[in-house]
Amino acid sequence: MIKFWSKRVKLGVLTENLEFDDEIKSIQKEIKESVKKKFAGSLAIRMVDSGSCNACEAECNALANPYYDLERLGIYFVASPRHADVMLLSGVMTFNMQPHVLDAYEQIPAPKWVISLGDCPAMAAPFEKTFAITAPAEQHLKITHHIAGCPPSPREIMQGLLEFLKKI
Amino acid sequence: MRLIARYAKDKGRVFEIITVYDTKVEKEQVRKEEPTIQTLSHEHPAALWFERKMQDDFGIIIKDAFDKRALLHQEKFPKDCYPMRKDFDKTELKQGELQPYNYEVIKGDGVFQVSVGPIHAGIIEPGHFQFSQAGEKMLHLEVRHFYKYRAIEKMLEGKTLQEAKPIIERISGNESIAYQICLRDIILQASQQLLPEVLQKRHAFLLELERIIHHLTDLGFIPNDAGFGAALALGSKLAEDARRKMKEVTGHRFGFGAIDFENKFFDTASLREWLQSMSESIAYFEDWIIDIPSLWDRLDTTGKLALKKAVKYDSVGVVARASGLAIDRRLNPFYLQRGFTLASQTSADVAARFKVRISEVKNSLIMMQNFLEADESRLEVASVNDGEYMSFTESSIGELFMAIDLKEGVIERFFARDASFMNWQALHVMMQHDIIADFPLINKSCDLSYAGNDL
Repeated sequence: MIKFWSKRVKLGVLTENLEFDDEIKSIQKEIKESVKKKFAGSLAIRMVDSGSCNACEAECNALANPYYDLERLGIYFVASPRHADVMLLSGVMTFNMQPHVLDAYEQIPAPKWVISLGDCPAMAAPFEKTFAITAPAEQHLKITHHIAGCPPSPREIMQGLLEFLKKI
Repeated sequence: MRLIARYAKDKGRVFEIITVYDTKVEKEQVRKEEPTIQTLSHEHPAALWFERKMQDDFGIIIKDAFDKRALLHQEKFPKDCYPMRKDFDKTELKQGELQPYNYEVIKGDGVFQVSVGPIHAGIIEPGHFQFSQAGEKMLHLEVRHFYKYRAIEKMLEGKTLQEAKPIIERISGNESIAYQICLRDIILQASQQLLPEVLQKRHAFLLELERIIHHLTDLGFIPNDAGFGAALALGSKLAEDARRKMKEVTGHRFGFGAIDFENKFFDTASLREWLQSMSESIAYFEDWIIDIPSLWDRLDTTGKLALKKAVKYDSVGVVARASGLAIDRRLNPFYLQRGFTLASQTSADVAARFKVRISEVKNSLIMMQNFLEADESRLEVASVNDGEYMSFTESSIGELFMAIDLKEGVIERFFARDASFMNWQALHVMMQHDIIADFPLINKSCDLSYAGNDL
């Protein structure tokens, strides 16, 4: 354990993008009212993959690494749609996944929002329409905000989530 | 004889069934009016998914199979719809009548079912696991996938190889470079050209970089699933460092579009330094983690896939190497001359798969030093000839197989078999002596792709 702690001290704090902390401080005022009411001060996200290539998921997982550490902004991923405020939807909405996506959406308590992640749900990725694809997702769900990119980088995802918070 | 793939082609009046083994390729034709083939699943249990897939795609009837349930076509998929036949041209499907799926379950006093998925409690791809439980003990697991089925095989038909490239590199994000290299080999075969060694080295460098990103992520997540979060903090930090390096050398964090025929500028001096510091970090990581007894208590003896079973299920990749099998597509002179050593373990458990990943990261870093070369040569690709082509690459998960038929310059049939497709079918065998709380750990230790599996 001594080895670990000496490494830990040597590495120091790795978290970057500290400007997001300032940004969230500044928007906290404007979103204070709505976020306090709607989210009790923190935003809970249920990530649903409806047929992505797994790159969007990898980037969402990267949000938890020491460089980005998303949770310090009060935004975190939850295990059940019933604990969530927001559904973060990636992928092309496959024929096989569509009923399950809609099920998960049903399970989120109102008020609820959908953010689409990456180019796939908007059918802007190179994938073409086949019988097994039912995207664009907006035909099935009301999308409040879209985070573009193939895949969007962790930074872009953070930026997008803050834009969403300003929007509502 | 190891089964690699089994798939069908629509050839007008007949279906052609291709069976690829490590030593030979077998072809068989059946008339469309009576499309019946004999199952191979008694000798090769992993043939089952291939055959169920054929049945859904083409309506081919599999004789003597012990499992004839639909694979790709889930509950609401319309009946008698065979999308891979050439005369199928719909781009919309209406949801059909609900056909219940009968899971393989064990029944008995006190035995109960646990259904997990398709949406899981984390940031992870969709798939379903059905457990038959006696208390904590897993009696049986059925893996059911294909929720991400995007019909990529059909999507690519009628496209040129150039048009298909952006789609192929997005089949499985974690293995993008491997898919691109498989496609590269097919382009080279079809244009009858040889790749200059410098480019070969550049591509091999990127493939190893992709491998270390994937392995480092797992080296964090596997201990995390055993409740040791500090490893995830360090592992994900190192993975992010490598991911940023990928962005620096290819312009994309996952290397989409990176495999082309131009050797762009590499800052070899700074890359060498980075590789050195990575080697030191991984040495520290290994030295530190090997000393945590409570972690190894969880990893040792959990999720065993005995050598005999690994052979029976035609396993590949990290899973096969952790069970003592010497299967690696990098066992060739090009890699061996540049420092490749086969990572191998024999304990066949989660710990073995963890150790294989550590050894592979270390070996990749050594090879990457040898792949670095400052050179800006390029290859003009000649026009491609029609024909039937196959290629193999060792992705970060295992052996990737791709086959493309070209007719009049466009893709007539595309088929890819991810390493995950084989290993998913062996997953239930690993569960037989463990409790359900070990499942996430065992699953993560294999780290299989859903997107590459489902296509």
